[in-house]
Amino acid sequence: MAADILLTILTVVFALMVVFSKRTVVAAFSLLMTLLVIGMIYFQLGTVFLSAVQVLVNAGAIAILFVFVMMLIDVEQFTNNRERNKWKLIASTITVLILLGVFAIVINNNIESLSAVNLSDNSMKTLFAKLFDVYYLPFELATMLLLAAIVACVVLATHDKHQSEEELIEAHNVEEKQ
Amino acid sequence: MLEAAIEILLKTVVILALPLGALPLIIHVERRGAAFMQKRLGPNRVGPFGIFQPLADVAKFMFKEEVHPAHVRRFFYTAAPMVALVVAILPLACIPVAGPIEAFGRTIFPEVFRSDMGIFFAFAVSALGSYGILIAGWASNNKYSMLGALRACAQMVSYELSLSTSVVAMIFLYGTNDIHGMVSQQSGYWLGFIPQWGVFYQPVAAMLFLIGIFAESNRLPFDLAEGESEIVAGYHLEYSSMKFALFFMAEYIHMIALSALFIIMFFGGYSLLPGMELIAGKSPILLVILQATSLIIKVAVMIWFFVWVRWTLPRFRYDQLMNLGWERLLPLGIVNLIVTVLFVYFRNR
Repeated sequence: MAADILLTILTVVFALMVVFSKRTVVAAFSLLMTLLVIGMIYFQLGTVFLSAVQVLVNAGAIAILFVFVMMLIDVEQFTNNRERNKWKLIASTITVLILLGVFAIVINNNIESLSAVNLSDNSMKTLFAKLFDVYYLPFELATMLLLAAIVACVVLATHDKHQSEEELIEAHNVEEKQ
Repeated sequence: MLEAAIEILLKTVVILALPLGALPLIIHVERRGAAFMQKRLGPNRVGPFGIFQPLADVAKFMFKEEVHPAHVRRFFYTAAPMVALVVAILPLACIPVAGPIEAFGRTIFPEVFRSDMGIFFAFAVSALGSYGILIAGWASNNKYSMLGALRACAQMVSYELSLSTSVVAMIFLYGTNDIHGMVSQQSGYWLGFIPQWGVFYQPVAAMLFLIGIFAESNRLPFDLAEGESEIVAGYHLEYSSMKFALFFMAEYIHMIALSALFIIMFFGGYSLLPGMELIAGKSPILLVILQATSLIIKVAVMIWFFVWVRWTLPRFRYDQLMNLGWERLLPLGIVNLIVTVLFVYFRNR
């Protein structure tokens, strides 16, 4: 029980550090720690496979790419400008609403039912039978979310409001001639 | 409760004492091996054949002045060697040095962390291995260290993929992810003397795994993270005395842990070496000792192989490394995985 509480507190603290830390790389490492502690929570619940996958995929592959890119392009230089974000209010309202929704679900339902995916039967067969049967819709929705994120990333990375694509190619050609 | 705690403590001591005790010996073998390959003598002054040289090195590491460069990021700079060592040691927790032992009226498993998902745990933890190097390179606040860390990180992430495909292929082939199950499937013989090791079923997976180990532990020909002739010493450039020694230890322990995993999956793990059954007899204690000896001999051969390769092959160029990883090994691994899965599917029908 003490371990559960400690891990929960650590998760929240690291998650807050991701948002509030001034230095981007520190934020990335906090994200890594959040993912690791969530892995430990899975471990504490006795689901070694889930915990291993959490560490292997999220901490070992995804977070490392975050850190890698941040170090590679030296993000610090972009984060020092204190521009006011005009979407701040809307974004935080939506976040608070979602958080309240999650709380409402947790309070309205019996807490016991949250551990419905009882994985004390720790085999992969049971896990994946559940994943592709009972939880198929949430699973597919999660993949759609990832797809949306990929599209958003591509748009954000390639969209430049000052230059259209033709202009960019032209500028590139001129550069090459010189 | 107390009994279980003592059991875990004892296992931990054994599994830590084995690689840490072997470390000076391995370093000595490495240096003498290098000398042997380059037709020179190597360290031979301290004790007979210079075997006390590693002890002298340890004393030097401990008493050397610790230099803290002024420009480092202090917290991360101090944390990095510890992260590297802890992450290197953790996979050892799931490696059994012998089979299950029937004693005191119950079955005792020799690994510290007993779970049939142990192999996933080991690979998950060893996937974190690049963080120690990455943190060190970034905290050193120096362009050579940074370059070394970025190289190491990109290399480890790339080769982890082909390594994982080979592991998944082996799990499909054995039909189990329990380490003891894998070993027991490899303990038979063909024609009475050829052991049924996984390497004979899956030579491609074995090759991918072997190359993966070299890349994961940053050993030559994949030591781009250090690359003395290009980036001075890479990620550990700013580290001196015991902090450097921790990185050094982490590299060797990572090597030992990955070699042990390789041997479990492809060379029969702790199953007896051919000929050992004749003396094993019926005594369970003797059997356990022989099993542990078999595993240690196999790991020792692997370590010698590491030394051999290190002083034989030159370092890859960075683009060669990336081409090999992404354009050769990964497709090969995926094809191998698909073929294995189809084979297992039709065999089990």
